[in-house]
Amino acid sequence: MIFSLVNISLIIGILLVLAGIWAAITQKNIIKIIIGFSLFDTGIHIIMVALGYVKNNTAPILDSENLRTGTADKIVDPIPQALVLTAIVIGLGVTALMLVYALKMYREKKSLNINSFKDLKW
Amino acid sequence: MVTPIYIIVALLGVAFALGFSGQKQIKAAGTLALGALAFSLFVSLEWLIGLYTETYKSTQIFTAGVNPPFSINLFMGTGEALFTTLINFIGLFGGLYLFNKLIKKGRSTFIALLMLIMGLNVVVMTRDMFNLFVFLEISSVATAGLIILNQNKKSLAAGFKYIIATGIIAGILLIGIIFMYRFTGSLNIDDIPTGNLLMIKGFGTAIFLILTSILLELKPFPANGWGLDVYQGTHAGISVFISAASGTALLYVLYKFIPLMSPSFAFALSLVGGLTFIASNLLGLKQTHPNRLLGYSSIGQIGLVVLVIGLAPYLGDKFEYIAIALLGTHVFAKAGLFWISGIIQKDNIRKWTILRKNKLLTILFGVFMLALLGFPPFPSFFGKWELITELAGNGFISWMVIILLGSFLEAVYLFRWLGYILKLEAAKKELQPISWNKYLPIIISAILLIASGFGMSYLHEHAKFINYIPLIVAAAFILIDRLPVFIKNTLAIASVGLWYYMMYPDLEEFRLIFATIFLVGGIITLLAGYAYKGKRQGFYPMALIMFAGLGGLIEAKTTLEFFFAWELMTIGSYFLIIRGKKSISHALSYMLFSLGGAYAILAAFGLATVNNTGISLDILANLNIYAPAIFILLAIGFMTKTASLGLHIWLPGAHAEAETDVSPMVSAILLKAGLFGLIVMMIKMGDQMIFGLSISYFLGWLGVFTAIIGNLMAALQEDAKRLLAYSSIGVLGYALFGLALMSHLGWLGATSIAITHFMFKTTLFLAIGGVVWRLKTKNMYQMGGLIKKMPFSFISVLISIIVLAGIPPLTGFAGKWLFFNAIMEKGWYLQGALISFAGVIAFLYCFRLIHSVFLGQLKDEHRNVKEAPFWILLPQYIILGVLIIFSAFPNSLLKPIGEFITPYLPNGALVWDGQMAYSLYGYWNGELIMYAVVGIFVAVLLWIIFWNRKIKKVKQFDIVYAAERPFLPETTHYAYNFFAHYKKAVGILAQPMISNFWEGVSEIGHSVSDKIRRIYNGSGQAYLIHIIGFIVIIFLFTFGGF
Repeated sequence: MIFSLVNISLIIGILLVLAGIWAAITQKNIIKIIIGFSLFDTGIHIIMVALGYVKNNTAPILDSENLRTGTADKIVDPIPQALVLTAIVIGLGVTALMLVYALKMYREKKSLNINSFKDLKW
Repeated sequence: MVTPIYIIVALLGVAFALGFSGQKQIKAAGTLALGALAFSLFVSLEWLIGLYTETYKSTQIFTAGVNPPFSINLFMGTGEALFTTLINFIGLFGGLYLFNKLIKKGRSTFIALLMLIMGLNVVVMTRDMFNLFVFLEISSVATAGLIILNQNKKSLAAGFKYIIATGIIAGILLIGIIFMYRFTGSLNIDDIPTGNLLMIKGFGTAIFLILTSILLELKPFPANGWGLDVYQGTHAGISVFISAASGTALLYVLYKFIPLMSPSFAFALSLVGGLTFIASNLLGLKQTHPNRLLGYSSIGQIGLVVLVIGLAPYLGDKFEYIAIALLGTHVFAKAGLFWISGIIQKDNIRKWTILRKNKLLTILFGVFMLALLGFPPFPSFFGKWELITELAGNGFISWMVIILLGSFLEAVYLFRWLGYILKLEAAKKELQPISWNKYLPIIISAILLIASGFGMSYLHEHAKFINYIPLIVAAAFILIDRLPVFIKNTLAIASVGLWYYMMYPDLEEFRLIFATIFLVGGIITLLAGYAYKGKRQGFYPMALIMFAGLGGLIEAKTTLEFFFAWELMTIGSYFLIIRGKKSISHALSYMLFSLGGAYAILAAFGLATVNNTGISLDILANLNIYAPAIFILLAIGFMTKTASLGLHIWLPGAHAEAETDVSPMVSAILLKAGLFGLIVMMIKMGDQMIFGLSISYFLGWLGVFTAIIGNLMAALQEDAKRLLAYSSIGVLGYALFGLALMSHLGWLGATSIAITHFMFKTTLFLAIGGVVWRLKTKNMYQMGGLIKKMPFSFISVLISIIVLAGIPPLTGFAGKWLFFNAIMEKGWYLQGALISFAGVIAFLYCFRLIHSVFLGQLKDEHRNVKEAPFWILLPQYIILGVLIIFSAFPNSLLKPIGEFITPYLPNGALVWDGQMAYSLYGYWNGELIMYAVVGIFVAVLLWIIFWNRKIKKVKQFDIVYAAERPFLPETTHYAYNFFAHYKKAVGILAQPMISNFWEGVSEIGHSVSDKIRRIYNGSGQAYLIHIIGFIVIIFLFTFGGF
């Protein structure tokens, strides 16, 4: 089914990735470029979650209730979720670093236009 | 045995602990950080040694005690141990180098450094792909922090480009990994099915995305602008981590993924690697910023290793040897160069002259540079040798061309840089004092580079037989460089003499002749060194390296030993040539021609191993494939040294600008190495046919034209040493012609020319060198009338030009006589006529030389000139004595040579009867001619003395000279434009057409370089577009879109 939850999420994820790359390539304002990267990251995260989703299964939390009712085998694969959490943390770190750079770059040149930072070339 | 997990524990733990330290304890904190890095180095080194000696077994480490994918597993095998050792070495010593800087900037810099090194360690060891992503990101973030160690607009811009580029790349890697998990249910590399799976829909894309993003991290051309900007923008000490440590780790990741590569991706990989290697070295040509230049070189070297990884399936069990040799050299040499650059801190390579104020650093710079270019005895020499041999064995001719071309381009800019350092006008400022913690990493890198070179050669099945003793002796002279010339010269003569003595019992035939020219000739020219006062620093190590190479050619039993010696000789002679005052451009062109020739020889030796066993020189004798190509490549290689027409433009400047005793070394001795090579080649291979024509026929014509043009150019020079240099080109043209005749008499003539050219060119260069020594000018129109001031030099020149011109009774005539016989026998009448025409031109320059310098008017300012120093005269007269003996008793020279030639070319040998030689066409008695000529000469002399006894002698300014004003501008001097009339007639032949040709080649190379490098326009967003475009192209390539 094309319009399943997984497919819709995948498509949204891919669109977000493309939008993020588009922003990173075309925007001149450094802050907007950083936002583009955040979109890119979020898109990837959605793709990761979508790929790990299994219909009708439950959250990957193993507790005594699951074990008692025998629904332990109904939980979804926990790995993509673990991965996505890690990826979010890393994405946060990278975004923070970029913002620090933006701040320092602004202090250096009083400009947030990416084209002001083309001194190094050839 | 310490579990490698403690590397992570130590680095991470100390990084956290540093968070608690205040600015007051920063020194202690920094020392602690270095301690953690030292501990990591210790652990990885312990594993390396343990695994190598097989006391340890490679292990898997599962974190959290469960199996993958629920835990992360690390692996420690030989490869991991080696690579983490390299990374931790760079981490520790890079941290030590930057210690003061890091302390100034605060504890967070140490934390970033520890995180970077820890990240790279895990990247190497992990088998889990998501873990790979995480730790790649950790090291990227840490790198981005370190890039702004010096906070300014350049480093900030570079750092931001770095973050956005690696951010995109990491995102793509992550998408690849998550799809991989989707299809295989595992994140572990070992669980993923191998083989040609790229074509499985979806799964193939996942592998593709992972591999491509790893490749992108290695900065492939053209998606690497961000990397270059970082190299230029950041502190050189940080570039070391990026170039040496990160590059190493990522190459290992690529290596881990080899089993997943499909053949089409492996091919794309090697294409990208080869393109990167060539392109970045080409773009380096126009670069003047030292760090960016090193960045180009760095990216190029990593591209070369990527190429090797792509070709891994074809390299068989040699793959690891090659990759480690190339990568190890890159790590140590590039780290060393960046570290030196961090000390110099000049933003243009032309300003690097300040480096030569520090001898030790200059030597280290040279070591790193030569190592990068694959000169012996560094590991990359053996790596490149094996690589070329294996490629040839697979029939990969185009890969060979790519690698040799890229290496050549790299040599152009590195040697130009070295030339600037050694020869451009000295900087006024002194170098700042350098603290020990900056010296130590550089010195240790150089030591490791040399040690690993010996190690690699020990591991090589053939290289372990190379005789290193002469090289070690030469290197030992660096240690005694502060002693006075007298002692060093004596030691140098003694060591060359001892080597000849030890070698002598094994010498036979041509090896005897050339060993004598190389080593005994070396001793004789070294005698002139006693004329120098002071220390003459740097001369003896280089001269002895050249002689080590020359002697090594004689001793070589295998093609590897031969090539090793050839390269040594090239290095030594390059450094001798660049000692001259205006030698900067000549030394560069000498080196480039020599390297081009050396690469032709390397390619030929590689091709010769195809369908052959072993690498003994004898394999040249039984080639069953490529024989004509090998012949041509070898001939080109050797003719760069004999300076045959077309490959000669380096010679005149190089020989003319060299020091007095260096000119004979490089002209009279070094050129013979090319002849020796040609003889060895022709003995083994005979003549070869191409399209039904014999190659030696072409060589014959080349010899003829070389002789004519060389002699003509000689006749039209104003500079006396340049005249002699061009004369060498001409004479070597005769020798080439003689060899090309491929007959007994032709070879006899060529060999006797080789010997006599050594003798007369040594005396001429020393005699003219002595004149230049006293007059401080090389222009002949500023000389004249020196016969009475320098009579011994005059006699020496007189006798030498009689030999040169081939006038009886001296031995030069023997060569001529042999040639005419040989030409008639062969039937090459036209060539023969042209060769004798060249001989006539030789008369012109001989006459000009003796007339302009010694006859005519004495210049006023030379009224108090003294004879040349004794030590410059002595070698001349030793040689002249031998010349006279050979002339009077020609069979003492020619008979043994004839016997050497007979086994190879038996037909048409001379028949000897005492001093009487019979050929098919006539006979010649050298002894009788000598007596006759001497008799006539003495008779005429007595006659003149008798009849002239009453003639009144006049001084120069006596009225007799009224017709000529003694003080004329130089240009109206009779010796200026001496042969103006001939120049008008045949000057068209003497136009610098060939120089113009090579200059055009160079110009095209540089402008192409300048055009292409404009793609790096400095915009981070453009670099992102390059990255995405790169992915698309590689995708289409891998999946057959093209």
